[in-house]
Amino acid sequence: MTSPLEARSLSLNREGNNVLDGVSFTVAEGEIFALLGGNGAGKSTTLLAFLGFLEPLEGEVLVNGTSVHGDVASARSAIAYLPEAAALYGHMTAYENLDYFLHLAGKPASRDGLDAALDRVALPEEARSRRLQSYSKGMRQKTAIALALLRETPIMLLDEPTSGLDPVAIDEFHDLVKTLAQGGQTILMVTHDVYGACQVADRVGLLRHGQLVGSFSAGNGKRIDTETVHAAFAEREVA
Amino acid sequence: MSTISRIAREEWRLWLRSKVVVAAAVIVTVLLATTSILTINRVAEEQSQRLEQQVAAEKTFFAQPDRHPHRMVHYGHYAFRPPPPLAMFEPGVDAVTGQSIFLEGHRQNTAMFADTKAAADLGGFAALTPASLYQILLPLLLIVLGHALFLRERESGTLAVMLAQGQSGTKLALGKALALLSVIAIFMIPLIAVAAYSMSLGESGLAALSLVSGYFVYLCAWGAIVLAASVILKQRSVSLGVLIFAWLFAALIVPRLAINASSAAIDAPGKIESDLVMLAEQRKLGDGHNAADPAFQRLQAEVLEQYGADTIEELPINWRGVVASYSEAELTKLLNGYAENRMNLEASQSRIFDLFGLASPTIAISSASRTLAGTDLATHHRFLRESETLRFNFVQSLNEIHANELDYETDINRNNDAASSQRAQVNSEAWQVLDEFRFGPDPANARVSRASLSLGVLVGWLLIAIGVIFMAARRVRL
Ligand SMILES: Nc1ncnc2c1ncn2[C@@H]1O[C@H](COP(=O)(O)OP(=O)(O)OP(=O)(O)O)[C@@H](O)[C@H]1O
Ligand SMILES: [Mg+2]
Repeated sequence: MTSPLEARSLSLNREGNNVLDGVSFTVAEGEIFALLGGNGAGKSTTLLAFLGFLEPLEGEVLVNGTSVHGDVASARSAIAYLPEAAALYGHMTAYENLDYFLHLAGKPASRDGLDAALDRVALPEEARSRRLQSYSKGMRQKTAIALALLRETPIMLLDEPTSGLDPVAIDEFHDLVKTLAQGGQTILMVTHDVYGACQVADRVGLLRHGQLVGSFSAGNGKRIDTETVHAAFAEREVA
Repeated sequence: MSTISRIAREEWRLWLRSKVVVAAAVIVTVLLATTSILTINRVAEEQSQRLEQQVAAEKTFFAQPDRHPHRMVHYGHYAFRPPPPLAMFEPGVDAVTGQSIFLEGHRQNTAMFADTKAAADLGGFAALTPASLYQILLPLLLIVLGHALFLRERESGTLAVMLAQGQSGTKLALGKALALLSVIAIFMIPLIAVAAYSMSLGESGLAALSLVSGYFVYLCAWGAIVLAASVILKQRSVSLGVLIFAWLFAALIVPRLAINASSAAIDAPGKIESDLVMLAEQRKLGDGHNAADPAFQRLQAEVLEQYGADTIEELPINWRGVVASYSEAELTKLLNGYAENRMNLEASQSRIFDLFGLASPTIAISSASRTLAGTDLATHHRFLRESETLRFNFVQSLNEIHANELDYETDINRNNDAASSQRAQVNSEAWQVLDEFRFGPDPANARVSRASLSLGVLVGWLLIAIGVIFMAARRVRL
């Protein structure tokens, strides 16, 4: 069976600098894969490669078994992407933002549909008709997550989804992601949060200087061991 | 609702929620409305005034009592150029050329300003016309509205979300283009209203429509330039800077260069300078009042031979009238030569100026605008020519009366006493030789064909800018 997401010996340059160097991994259907790594490790770049924004120097990225570069359009239609910084319009309300982006995506939703998604990310009801320029960072992030949910795509690429969320919201988000995965959605998320990644992910990959240097799986009903991953992560100081 | 119109609609939401944009729009609207109303009033007044003045001048001429015909030659007449209906929008060269001429024998006078009062009333604001607002201010407003149209999405990261959703850069650019187009459409409304009003005043639909279309293409070309900059450039400060420079270049620098270049390329002698040369040549022609002037000896021989007479007294016609008519014709030939020469130089200068439309759409529209409104230099030249024809015809008709209806004997003795001068008069019925003069703009198709080059240049500007947008939008990356 083909995996929804696969990177095969992916190497990639950005403005002449080698940013990814022979990265290979797959994410299976219904799996949560968390990509951990320090600043500048190449996590966001990996997501952009799956969206076809960056062209591999070597190797390839596949979405549902098809090379992204052969068919960018169908890759993008299968993916909901949550960018690093919530990219929404400050002059619009949450409703207006969601309605606009969903309309453009060809997936319009009713007001009830929007409310259901905003309920799932726990955005206070009173805030939904306010313009985003009056939102806190976490509220904006919640709106962006709601947008990704509403796309109802089989694959989600989430770039630091919990950044800006308070601890309660992070826990709620983790529950939400697990529910989505149980429903069959494939999730590739990027994070700095070792603890969170170990809590939610089925598998954790460790990216360092553009190379995948470690991979940790949850086994027989147990979560991934945070200590082990943290130790591996911290090794970068030594390396 | 399609994607493109939705993108355009969201742009409107942003504009309406932005204080700067709303304020700018209000200022422009107020400016446009007041300028239009002022100009419309002024032009409407001038139009009726000049027509009245023309009719009054004719009445006065006809009402003159019995006189010696040559006194009527010097009594003179006036020709007025009333502003055409579209001058309400585009006063054109009217601000710098005269609109009335005093017509008399032996002279070609320069056109004068019909009313100094109007110019004093408006002070410096006479230059602020609806046309100049459309040509200069509206592009600036398009820049304010549109310089970040596309790149704002890039700055805010929403471009990434849209592209990741499968939107194409081209569609996004088309949506933004539609937003700008709708702004342009709104700003066309005052012009359309003025054009419709001008039609009710007798302007042809073709000319009015061409003027509206010309400005529409002009504003669309600017809109396309603005959008192209916002697709290609990545930072709004850069985009704003580049566009403001382009605006300064097109609206101020190139016109300045064009004026200097056209006067440098074609060296038109100053009015005083050429008048002095002309005066010297004029003296050689002889004085038409003095039939004994040696300059007319050859004419005398010819006329005597023609009538088989030995002396001028034997002639069946009045020799003094013959001389007056002959010298008027000779003098007019000389004056017309100079006048045509000067007009040709001015016309060549204006053609060179128009060529600079290739470097600035603002020049192209200003030239098309004047031509279509009937307030261009060519129309003024036609006024000069037609009023000269009017002058020449009535002077020569009076000279003919002088030659045929007043005998030589009576004529030369006219200063002997009161009775003699009484006898040397002709009946005032004769003043009817003056033609009625009603100056109007060229027919619409003539104006349109004269403006076609400038209009073509504008279309060229628009097509190039649209081409650039499409090429840039297709290559949009993160
Ligand atoms: N737009 C860009 N142009 C050129 N190089 C870039 C660009 N964005 C990132 N890079 C480079 O690519 C490398 C990887 O960046 P990337 O954004 O993928 O890191 P990251 O792992 O997401 O880091 P962070 O945790 O800070 O988000 C870095 O060296 C960075 O300098
Ligand atoms: Mg990143």
